[in-house]
Amino acid sequence: MSERQVDGDLRIGVFVCDCGLNIAGAVDCAAVSEYAETLPDVVCAVRNKYTCADPGQNEIKNAIREHRLNRVVIASCTPRQHEPTFRQCVLEAGLNPYLMEMANLREHCSWVHPGDWDGATAKAKDLVAGAVARARFLEPQVEMTVPVTKAALVIGGGVAGMEAALELADAGHKVVLVEKEASIGGIMAQLDKTYPTMDCSI
Amino acid sequence: MGPKAIDVGRHPNIELLTYSEVEAVSGYVGNFSVKIRKKARYVDPEVCNSCNECAKVCPVVKPDEYQMGLGSRKAIYIPYPQAVPCSYILNMDDCLGTTPIACGKCADVCEQECIDYDDRDEIIERDVGAVIVAIGLDVYDPTELDDYGYTRFENVITSMEFERLICAGGPTAGHFIRPTDRERPKRIGFVQCVGSRNAAIGRPYCSNICCMNTIKDTLLLADHYPDLTNTVFYQDIRAFGKSFEDMFQRSKEAGTRYIRGLPGDIEEDPLTRNLLVTVENTTTGKLERHEFDMLVLSVGVIPPKDLAKISGLLTLSKTSDGFFLESHPKLKPIDAPTRGVYFAGFCESPKDIKDSVCQAGAAASRSGALLNAGQITVEAITSYIIEDACTKCGACASVCPYGAIIWEKGQFPVVVEAACAGCGCCGATCKSNAIVMRHFTDEQLIAQIRAILADKPEDKVFVFACNWCSYAGGDMAGISRIHYPSTNRVVRTMCSARVSEDMVLEAFRCGAPIVLVSGCHYADCHYINANRQTVKRVQRLWNKLDRLGIRPERLQLEWISAAEGQKFAKVMVQVEELRKKVTKEEIEQTIKALQEKPKKQRKAKSAKQTEASVSTP
Amino acid sequence: MTKKESFRCMMCGYEFEEPVEPGEDKERTCPMCRSNSIRHMKKRAVKDKTGESDE
Repeated sequence: MSERQVDGDLRIGVFVCDCGLNIAGAVDCAAVSEYAETLPDVVCAVRNKYTCADPGQNEIKNAIREHRLNRVVIASCTPRQHEPTFRQCVLEAGLNPYLMEMANLREHCSWVHPGDWDGATAKAKDLVAGAVARARFLEPQVEMTVPVTKAALVIGGGVAGMEAALELADAGHKVVLVEKEASIGGIMAQLDKTYPTMDCSI
Repeated sequence: MGPKAIDVGRHPNIELLTYSEVEAVSGYVGNFSVKIRKKARYVDPEVCNSCNECAKVCPVVKPDEYQMGLGSRKAIYIPYPQAVPCSYILNMDDCLGTTPIACGKCADVCEQECIDYDDRDEIIERDVGAVIVAIGLDVYDPTELDDYGYTRFENVITSMEFERLICAGGPTAGHFIRPTDRERPKRIGFVQCVGSRNAAIGRPYCSNICCMNTIKDTLLLADHYPDLTNTVFYQDIRAFGKSFEDMFQRSKEAGTRYIRGLPGDIEEDPLTRNLLVTVENTTTGKLERHEFDMLVLSVGVIPPKDLAKISGLLTLSKTSDGFFLESHPKLKPIDAPTRGVYFAGFCESPKDIKDSVCQAGAAASRSGALLNAGQITVEAITSYIIEDACTKCGACASVCPYGAIIWEKGQFPVVVEAACAGCGCCGATCKSNAIVMRHFTDEQLIAQIRAILADKPEDKVFVFACNWCSYAGGDMAGISRIHYPSTNRVVRTMCSARVSEDMVLEAFRCGAPIVLVSGCHYADCHYINANRQTVKRVQRLWNKLDRLGIRPERLQLEWISAAEGQKFAKVMVQVEELRKKVTKEEIEQTIKALQEKPKKQRKAKSAKQTEASVSTP
Repeated sequence: MTKKESFRCMMCGYEFEEPVEPGEDKERTCPMCRSNSIRHMKKRAVKDKTGESDE
């Protein structure tokens, strides 16, 4: 699918995730969503039960088409977990993946401020406001493709290193196995019998 | 294991480099370049036929490491009979000397002529796309636990020494005898959790394997010597794996006594050299005395001593137990945080052979997928230079940890995109705003700062956190549900070195009472050493704030690793305490002080941006 | 030559002296409160090679 053009007016969509009760249990997600609608260039704010699940992702894709969104803010969990998920999601709706921004309402907010409803909600609003402000300046990016050297290095020739090296080698990959001792085998070579089978270690 | 080792040794796709160490790694996922030191072994493993004639004539006798020092070897020796490669090695530290005047006996008798006293270390370079780290473990040395008497009492041995004593290939050819009188012991005691689950010595974690190892030992002894009695002192028996509980029951049925409680004190009877154990039986609450002929300390396992070195080479981190930190404890347990690096075996966390083999298979599968792909995309977060704004000063090139910016005096610097990792240090360093960091531009970050601090900034602690460590530390606090005050507002950059002076001052200008810059610990920096520039910048900012009459304490700096959820939460509590001491008047004065000095324009990049202006706070 | 230089913890205010090796690469921690906000109390900040100076 060809990417849609993003020239012209900013049209930002904000998606606030309940994450079941993971976020909604400690943050007033309805208030955050309402607040998001008041932010500059935000044309729609949607609350999802689980943004990362298929229905949630479909809502994002539909909203991108329906509202002709050219920036997307997803207020859910840490970008360290789901940034690839949502980049792929907006890409499937024809938006460059770099036009998506996340606000971390779960790891950095609801999970660490339970029982502080007002404080957590105020923080969530700020995180969304920050993400929207940043999103206004996002630009499409093109990722560089680099070749992969078809060989692997395995550091350590104990049972784990040997197994990994053999698996890769059997699959047809070149492997360099580096062992600091004079022989491979590691600690396992020093054991007599091993559990649970009670057979010889070596 | 033997057949596996042989397969490794002869597999056409495996280049086996033993007695070798990785010295340097450069590059990035898919394109690592590795320097390996192949240490001199003085015996050509291709030619050696393990005839043992050299060892026969070698006059040097040393404790045999393979036999846990319970046997001896020569200066020239084979590590163990089934070694791969099946070759002798000459330990030059033990050798009398390589000149024929000093000794030279081994070379004289070697019919294969495979001994070369002039052998030298060799540096080998290899290019690889993926790295599997499988550096294993070290075994805990219980000497420091003086109450247990290890090394003071000869009949107190470790579970590793037990392995050698019961092994047919061991120093006693499998005859189980005790060290002092070489008689077969009748009463054996096992002490569990030696160096495990012991916070007092900094080893609070369970070593995973020792319960089952001891159960196995008791079954072995019961099988070999039915007249022998075994007693195990334990805190909890953790027999959680497949068929483990069955083994535990069999051990009890074989007559092994399990006493809940760890010995408080161990004494030796000077006459019999037997061991007298005092223990509180926590099931009965009674103090008990037991006498044994021999005591086996079931020692725990510790991170391998090379872990720090490998960590540094591949920019990895470790968890609080000292083992490697994985990308995600449940969902990405094989991947290292550094893309293209995977873990196999013990070095990631204590695990037994079966689990090590499983994880090794998974690591091979993960790296195989990467290699099969043939190409990968790299995140578009690299930098580029706006020549119109550039003054050709070269500061960017001097701070780039990767040498990815090529600059010659009088010339415009050039970014080598394939080498740029996207830390953003150059962008934060550039005085003339001539560098744009893709996806982490000044405009984006300044707009984010302003929006977050638009309303009631006095109630907020402003935090810059780096993607890899401190932000991930915040995630870890979340995953671990560690509560802290809700006043902090975190902005993520790839590296703390991306945070420019201007960004910090902008936060103060917007009314932030406290600004915290946080990043990786020195050893963990994911951009080699970019965070050293963070330190320099914060240092300069403290001086600048001082001169402007702004309390420098309002700017804080912390290193928080991805595993340090506890520390993240603790720091948030501390900065909140600092925030409470900042008055509204102080904030107003700060804003005034910072506005009196008009800041340089971000002209260059404003022109570049499609958006005309940023909303003011 | 190694010489002692003074540092101040920006978190708890503790002041201390520590030897500074030439060219050292050391993470500093407050001996009192374990904070990393350790300010090097030089008389005059030295211009470093990055070209970023103290004004």
